[in-house]
Amino acid sequence: MAEATHESVISPRARNALVRLLRVAYPHPRFPDGPYERTADAVINQVEASLWHRLALTRGLESLDDAAGGDFAALDDEAALSLLRGIEDAGFFAFIRGVAVVSLYDDHETWELLGYEGASYEQGGYLDRGFNDLDWLPSPRIEEYAGPDQLVEVATDDEIAATEGSHR
Amino acid sequence: MNADERTVQLGQPVGHDEEVVVIVGSGAGGGTVAHELTARGIRCVVLEAGPYLKPEDYENDEWAAFNQMAWLDNRTASGPYRLARDFPNLPAWIVKAVGGSTTHWSGATPRFREYEFRARSYYGGLEGANLLDWPITLTDLAPYYDRAEIAIGSTHRHGRPPLPANNNYKVFANGAEKVGYKFYATGPYGTNAEPYDGRPASIQDGFNFQGDKHTSKWSTAVREIPRAIATGKCELRPGSQAVQVTHDASGRVDAVLYLDEDGNLHRQAAKVVCVAGNSIETPRLLLMSASALHPDGLANSSGQVGRNYMRHTTGSVYARFEQPVHMYRGETMAGIIADEARLDSSRGFLGGYYMETLALGPAFLAAFVEPGSWGPQFTTILDGYDHTAGMWIVGEDMPQESNRVTLNPAVQDQWGLPAPDVHFQDHPNDVAMREHGYSRADLLYEAVGALGTHHTPPYPATHNLGTCRMSERPEDGVLDKWGQAHDVPGLFVSDGSVMTTGAAANPTLTIVALAIRQAEHIAETLGSGS
Ligand SMILES: Cc1cc2nc3c(=O)[nH]c(=O)nc-3n(C[C@H](O)[C@H](O)[C@H](O)COP(=O)(O)OP(=O)(O)OC[C@H]3O[C@@H](n4cnc5c(N)ncnc54)[C@H](O)[C@@H]3O)c2cc1C
Repeated sequence: MAEATHESVISPRARNALVRLLRVAYPHPRFPDGPYERTADAVINQVEASLWHRLALTRGLESLDDAAGGDFAALDDEAALSLLRGIEDAGFFAFIRGVAVVSLYDDHETWELLGYEGASYEQGGYLDRGFNDLDWLPSPRIEEYAGPDQLVEVATDDEIAATEGSHR
Repeated sequence: MNADERTVQLGQPVGHDEEVVVIVGSGAGGGTVAHELTARGIRCVVLEAGPYLKPEDYENDEWAAFNQMAWLDNRTASGPYRLARDFPNLPAWIVKAVGGSTTHWSGATPRFREYEFRARSYYGGLEGANLLDWPITLTDLAPYYDRAEIAIGSTHRHGRPPLPANNNYKVFANGAEKVGYKFYATGPYGTNAEPYDGRPASIQDGFNFQGDKHTSKWSTAVREIPRAIATGKCELRPGSQAVQVTHDASGRVDAVLYLDEDGNLHRQAAKVVCVAGNSIETPRLLLMSASALHPDGLANSSGQVGRNYMRHTTGSVYARFEQPVHMYRGETMAGIIADEARLDSSRGFLGGYYMETLALGPAFLAAFVEPGSWGPQFTTILDGYDHTAGMWIVGEDMPQESNRVTLNPAVQDQWGLPAPDVHFQDHPNDVAMREHGYSRADLLYEAVGALGTHHTPPYPATHNLGTCRMSERPEDGVLDKWGQAHDVPGLFVSDGSVMTTGAAANPTLTIVALAIRQAEHIAETLGSGS
């Protein structure tokens, strides 16, 4: 019985709305659908553990269509974003964001798209793979300053003798 | 594991009835005390709540490493600071594993300055701040700073060469030069630029905060703990969480009660106890150790246990550039600017701060850059990821009595013990310092062509300090100048909780220096039989 209810929880239509919601909430024009799809599945997986989250998510996604006057997935970016702004505090949307901000950016395809190379130790780190390949600025000093100036640890006005008697 | 393997791994077994020095926690403080005492032939048991992970177990992956090693037992954050809203169960990033947070630390090792040991004298009676001078001075600590730098292998010190410039440092240091800063360098930093102390040079893999698989970075898990075990004088007990420190009828410590991994309670007899669980668990343990002689918590006659919790005034700035940066490649924090680490109240605040390079992967950047944020403003930050440079601002925060660790009566950990609550509010001085830091970071990055910058609020605290502070007079603090409780003979605290004030510098070098000094004192006291 529980299983039957659960099976029917996230309909293909609701999942579709969720993928669309994720793309609108975390818009990266150069991302394909993969990262958003996997994030949607991560959200759906997470609600399995909690009846409350399951109920809230199902109801929330269904009602997106109502809020959109028919079909949330058909709204253009701007309209969809403004709809989401209006429901920023809704529990189900906050829950989705909490999962999404972790899942979407822990996705290896996302990393690649953003230009992050992931695990590096097995490849010998970046010692010979560009840890210092930035060439649009001069090579800076790496030693500590050895010039004539001294760092003044305490400004003259802050010396104890200078502040004594002040009521700071 | 058979008995021989066990002895190699975890040391010569110590009987539960044998009165030894019991050390709670194996991080910067505890690991150092264990090493120093056992090197002098004094028998120790180290109780460590977390597992004994080895470099090959560490993960090159932010969330995986965090979930592997961070202290994730129930904790709560409360008070008006933003973290309590964004991360109500994660006030701090502290590691639960052999080596403690030195496994995840990055390695910045500046010393405290002379004036910072005398905060009360220099800052006066700043309203709302519970300031006190330390019972020791920089002169007292200087020789131990030398020893700590040699132990850690800090670059730029004692003949250790500097690390090379990585990409993030190139942006940072060029910006520093442009705005007129002088006191910048790639260190001092606790990671080998060349082989040292039996460990190899850095391969710049970029995973400092995840545990260094290459062991170029110092941690007590790769140095102090294995060496303590090798003396034959130390038994390490991982998966052992201390839950009470007890005392005898005369009030002297006599044992530590602890839970093993299965929740069974054990008692280890002690002639001296060194508590080094970091500044949340240490006061929690003392508060849980209340007795008829110490009704408000062990060593709490002053009422200061858990109070004056400090987390450093921090903030981060991420700057976007036209050209690529790849900030994540290489040593995360091998870039330090000291020009603002000074006392000059004409800036509008007391105390100083450092600027240090900082890089996160997309996973952590997304979680922490602007918690709760979404929509195009948020994704713009991530879209600029490989063209982004980052820095951390870290400065002295004011001790306040109401910033404190208490036992939360409503929340328990997995053992049924009261969870600690961390209550915190910025002092106006902290806010002014943070704003100054943000504006200086903006200028620095704009000087090298930043297209825009983002001001990131403080993360879960990596620097947790002050909850059992040292004081000259027993009524002002918990510990004397050796870190021994004013009111409980034989009870020492050996971690960052002992700090009377927080200073601007990252704390670990000072924790290690204080622990070496304390261990020498304990060894002398035990040697003389008193
Ligand atoms: C990501 C990150 C980066 C950092 N970078 C720097 C840096 O660049 N420079 C710097 O100076 N500092 C840095 N730090 C801070 C540094 O790690 C800490 O200051 C230092 O490790 C604190 O030492 P400690 O001995 O107080 O505690 P820890 O090193 O945290 O050790 C405490 C140990 O006690 C154990 N424990 C706690 N309670 C119990 C109990 N009841 N029973 C048994 N065991 C217990 C814990 O499991 C832990 O292993 C960083 C920290 C983090 C997380």
